[in-house]
Amino acid sequence: METFTYSHFPSASSIVHIAFFTHVSNAKALRARIINAASLTGKQGDDERERVNFAFVDARPVASLLHLQTAICQAILSETQDVLRTKTVHSEILWALNPSHNITEAIRRYGVSDTTTSLLVVRVTSPDLTDVEARMKAVVDGQLEDLSALASTTDWATVKKYYKLAGEDALKEADGDDVRERLVIDSIAVSTVAMKSVMNT
Amino acid sequence: MDSTIALLASSQPVSQGAEAALYKGTLHSASAPLLLKHRFAKGYRHPTLDASLTKARVAGEARALMKCLRSGVSVPGIRFVDASAGVLGIEWIDGRSVRFLLGGGDEGVDDEEADETEETEEEDALAEYGVARDELMRRIGTEIAKMHLADIVHGDLTTSNMMLRLPSASPTNQPTLFLIDFGLAYTSALAEDKAVDLYVLERAFGSTHPDAEPLFAGVLAAYEERMGKHWLPVRRKLEDVRLRGRKRSMVG
Ligand SMILES: Nc1ncnc2c1ncn2[C@@H]1O[C@H](COP(=O)(O)OP(=O)(O)OP(=O)(O)O)[C@@H](O)[C@H]1O
Ligand SMILES: [Mg+2]
Repeated sequence: METFTYSHFPSASSIVHIAFFTHVSNAKALRARIINAASLTGKQGDDERERVNFAFVDARPVASLLHLQTAICQAILSETQDVLRTKTVHSEILWALNPSHNITEAIRRYGVSDTTTSLLVVRVTSPDLTDVEARMKAVVDGQLEDLSALASTTDWATVKKYYKLAGEDALKEADGDDVRERLVIDSIAVSTVAMKSVMNT
Repeated sequence: MDSTIALLASSQPVSQGAEAALYKGTLHSASAPLLLKHRFAKGYRHPTLDASLTKARVAGEARALMKCLRSGVSVPGIRFVDASAGVLGIEWIDGRSVRFLLGGGDEGVDDEEADETEETEEEDALAEYGVARDELMRRIGTEIAKMHLADIVHGDLTTSNMMLRLPSASPTNQPTLFLIDFGLAYTSALAEDKAVDLYVLERAFGSTHPDAEPLFAGVLAAYEERMGKHWLPVRRKLEDVRLRGRKRSMVG
């Protein structure tokens, strides 16, 4: 897990923890747990919601750490400006990652699904919250990896599809060179996330 | 305090123009640097009108960059947008403007003060990038053609609005030319609009660079090559625009 400080955001949202898990074996149960937590009431509900109070992001359609971090930054910005399109800053990260304005689609594409095996777990919080890595490990059964390992899990064909990049001139420039093509896809995905608030689709 | 204003306050001022203030900043503790372009409030405009104009400008510049990115035109990526604060965050390019590299001095520095040392400095500068002058002109012409083929008109093509990135700052270790500053860009398929873009650049070369004619000829040659069958209508319009420009300068 790595921790990033956003000193310009209000203290309550100034710290971002990101962990990357591979070989995740409990995706189906985790998804059910997240859905169930939303409907629980009372203290039991609050406690359970706190235990799953993360953004669980399927790593396959994530192009790079920068791609994820760009979505995180725009999501926190929306939170501080009180213009979230979804319920929480964590669900907003999923929304920000997907180019369309359809919330259900964003969750289906970027949220945890029954077949997820590599997972990015994000917590936006204040500097006071400790033990975050332990809290993440308590809900995800998987192998904790370095964030740099993300590069090997990206499913480029899916990113290309989600961002509607097939046939785009920028890809023709890459001329079949995989390395260049990935740089182009990442660059467009990152920029699309950054400017989503001013894109009218 | 608004978080984006706090972000600007923690960044390094780069320059201050009539329309925007530029800063070099970072979004978080491990972030790569980015250029923050802040279109600040204009005291003389009505606040509500000002806010919506500012938003539209930020959105317009971001959309033009996006269109360029998708069309394979070499422009910096978008990193952050807060339209209500008037701020656009753009990938930082570690390099220099073409204006500087051609010995036209630094942006905002008067030509006279900078003149004496320019010649040698510029040779050294370009050598550091591993690009010959002719090659640089060729790349400029090619990028402009790609942009025009995508029906994007820049609106302020000058050598200050192009940058060459150091090879060491590139993921592929290549020097890369970038077109920047899409604040006045718009979409148009008209040959006349594209011709005006070229004319503005021709004038910019003429007024800031010795040896401007062969340099601009190099730009046009590469432009022509890339435009293919779309070159002829632009060429015709360019001749018209030049003629009008000359008439205007004889009168005024
Ligand atoms: N992405 C970038 N990375 C690094 N430096 C940049 C970047 N974009 C711009 N600059 C520097 O800032 C200068 C001005 O940028 P730009 O033209 O986008 O701003 P502007 O406010 O429109 O300026 P002007 O009114 O002078 O045209 C450039 O000439 C360049 O030196
Ligand atoms: Mg400029």
